Amino acid sequence: MTAAGSLTGAGEPAGRAPSVVPVFIRLKLSVLRNGLRQSRGRTVGWAIGVAFSMLYALGLGAGMIALRGNDYAPAAAVTLSLVLGLGWAVMPLFFFGGDDTLDPTRLTMLPLRPRPLITALLASSLIGVGPLFTVLVSTGAVVAVAHSTSAAVVAVVAVALLLLTCVALSRAVAAANTRLLTSRRGRDLALLSGLVVAVGAQLVNLGVNALSSHHGLHRMTSLTAVLRWIPPAPAVDAVRSASHGAYGLMAAQLACDVVFLAVVLVWWHRSLFRLMVSPDASTIQSGPEGGEGRVPRSRRAGGSGDSAAAAGRGERPAGPAGLLPRRLVAGRTAPVMERQFRYLWRDPRSRATLATGLAIGLLLPLVAVVQHGTIYQCLWAGGLLGMQMYNQFGMDSSAFWIVSATLATRKDAALELRGRALTLALIAVPYITVVTVGAALLLGRTEALPETLGLSLAFLGSLIGTGAYASVRFPYAVPQDNPFGNAAPGQGGLVALNVFGGTLTGAAMSLPVLALTVTLHLTGHHALLWTVLPFGAVYGLAVAALALRLTAPKLLDRLPEILAVVART
Amino acid sequence: MDGSQGTPGSREAQGTARGETARLEPYYGGSGSGVGAEGQDGPPPAVRVRGLWKRFGEQAAVAGIDLEVPTGRFVGLVGPNGAGKTTTLSMVTGLLRPDDGAVQIVGRDVWTDPVGVKSRIGVLPEGLRLFERLTGRELLVYTGRLRGLPVTEVDRRAGQLLEVLDLSGAQHKLVVDYSTGMRKKIGLAAALLHNPEVLFLDEPFEGVDPVSAQVIRGVLERYTATGGTVVFSSHVMELVESLCDWVAVMAGGRIVASGPLAEVRGAAPTLQDAFLSLVGADRRAGEDLDWLGGGDR
Repeated sequence: MTAAGSLTGAGEPAGRAPSVVPVFIRLKLSVLRNGLRQSRGRTVGWAIGVAFSMLYALGLGAGMIALRGNDYAPAAAVTLSLVLGLGWAVMPLFFFGGDDTLDPTRLTMLPLRPRPLITALLASSLIGVGPLFTVLVSTGAVVAVAHSTSAAVVAVVAVALLLLTCVALSRAVAAANTRLLTSRRGRDLALLSGLVVAVGAQLVNLGVNALSSHHGLHRMTSLTAVLRWIPPAPAVDAVRSASHGAYGLMAAQLACDVVFLAVVLVWWHRSLFRLMVSPDASTIQSGPEGGEGRVPRSRRAGGSGDSAAAAGRGERPAGPAGLLPRRLVAGRTAPVMERQFRYLWRDPRSRATLATGLAIGLLLPLVAVVQHGTIYQCLWAGGLLGMQMYNQFGMDSSAFWIVSATLATRKDAALELRGRALTLALIAVPYITVVTVGAALLLGRTEALPETLGLSLAFLGSLIGTGAYASVRFPYAVPQDNPFGNAAPGQGGLVALNVFGGTLTGAAMSLPVLALTVTLHLTGHHALLWTVLPFGAVYGLAVAALALRLTAPKLLDRLPEILAVVART
Repeated sequence: MDGSQGTPGSREAQGTARGETARLEPYYGGSGSGVGAEGQDGPPPAVRVRGLWKRFGEQAAVAGIDLEVPTGRFVGLVGPNGAGKTTTLSMVTGLLRPDDGAVQIVGRDVWTDPVGVKSRIGVLPEGLRLFERLTGRELLVYTGRLRGLPVTEVDRRAGQLLEVLDLSGAQHKLVVDYSTGMRKKIGLAAALLHNPEVLFLDEPFEGVDPVSAQVIRGVLERYTATGGTVVFSSHVMELVESLCDWVAVMAGGRIVASGPLAEVRGAAPTLQDAFLSLVGADRRAGEDLDWLGGGDR
């Protein structure tokens, strides 16, 4: 915009300025296109993702249409629209980093007033897979409850209103939380909340399965009386009201949604205004008080206490490493373990990976207990925790150079690997024991406890051993900016090799223990099945120890190669 | 994964040679035979590089470097962006495997004698992370213990380094929340912790505020005064000129000049001028931008 241009524009009313809507729509399209241009794999992945979500949307929409005339159709339509609204509201919290156009702070330097900016952002937000998905699904929902001409007209309004409300809500949530989401803590938090949602969804799934009787559905219907007044559901329920000829109710419901949309827009407007006139978050962070209180006081005291105590006791390592015999954690093993434990607690990625392993390792045996399944589901706990040994150095990212710069002998390499393996074992062995014992008690299969635990420990040992080897031989970079990717682009093959190859090899290596179990079962020596526990434990330990010993020289030889791979983020 | 693997032959060579004491012939065959043959009478140079090569795909990032850095000097490795400074320092410190060539640190081969070299050098790389979810103090203690220092000694040295580098107030803050200057300082502390003989710093002043820069400078000057060798890379000529007594100028993956500062500067008024003529840069920039400033908008 030239100075001359703005001078001529100044004579006219402010609202007459050329609209920025087309600019924003073009921007959105360019961002979409450029995102796809980055790599072929990404384009293919995107296309497959879009195809699947469209199929899902069509299926959902068709399913809703099929419910037309059913008693539960209104309840289903209301629930579906609420789920859509909720999805849009929480989406920016998880995928903030994924869409640059979501971050209003990128636009603060442009000479734009909040009001035209809101119009433009709203218009550009209507482009994409998400809005299309919403239109398809909500069309199905309104078709399911529209039974008259007037209802059909209201249905069109309802879909438009629902879409606008969802998109505006999503944008408003993003704008209100920009400060949080662009800060380090916010991103840490988002990563963990994603996990909570994922695990929570599984628990809900379990609950829904348990409730999916006629009685459960009835309860749902009575709940709908409340749900249909929570926006954006009233818009969809207004269609049902119109079908019944309850035009007063219909008007009230549509008005409810319009008011809600207005409130959301005002909220968004305020957040945008605040964002655009206050300084950038990065400047605030580097201020003098920026980091105070980041580390909890208890840890602060604990940190110096740790070192002071360690000094007082001589060379006794602090933390969980101190629980183990001193010879086992000699040399660099203890500091490696301490750092690993600190990372499991403080690094959101390590924490999320571990928490996923722990949660799913508990969930699957729990499913077995609820559905009276097999106790062998407990093997998942060992398997999922054992897999954490894979790509150890990828998790270090380029900080691996510190390991590389201080690792000079085979012994160093062996102790480094031992530290990482012990950290995992110190968590996994008690956890597996507790889960297996718990499941055996709840399932009333205490007689199968020793063999299950023995198999679990053998499997864990095998996975730790093969994981150490794979970490050295087939490392891959873990992206640091995208908390949801577990591998940087172009390494899908390596990840698959790690996960599938590792699991298969781990399973194959625990075959001897499995063979013993099966033999004892088949030959009817059930009284001897307890031997699987000591055999499995010793076998797992031996396999892990042997693999670490054989892998250590390889680690020493491959330090620069590993660094070159894992630093590629 | 190609390119990062090195040639199969080279890995074999490494496998057979590991554990031996410093060999004098080059590790990767090829050029540079007779490394170390000269200079056997005096003390070995702090760094000796022969025929060092590194290619990334078609492009040679480092194209045959020969360099000998005397001990106890404050050495500046200067060059424009993309000259190969970081690649060179990575190979010299053993973080990146060269395609060809040999590197010795105080007479010990980097690739055949890692024990001798790794304990004698301190490194502050550029563009690589630290373990940032540790606090500053934890990072120092962790690094020190990886280097095999006793806990009490690590504690003592870490405390002193934090104090001198003005990080005591932030020692219990996570490194991820540190500013650029604080990161460079904690990285420097980690590099100094085991009292190395040679210190390699890649762009230690990049993005650092003047106060932190002065602190870093003070520590480095104290370190060289007691006989330590500092090799640092930079493209800020004024800084190099005021700090260093020995410089090596890199351009296009090669060393175009090296030696004592006065020698490299020659007749030019400043190192900046000498540098620009050495790398063949055009001083007349921007004469076509006649619309810039004044006149029509």
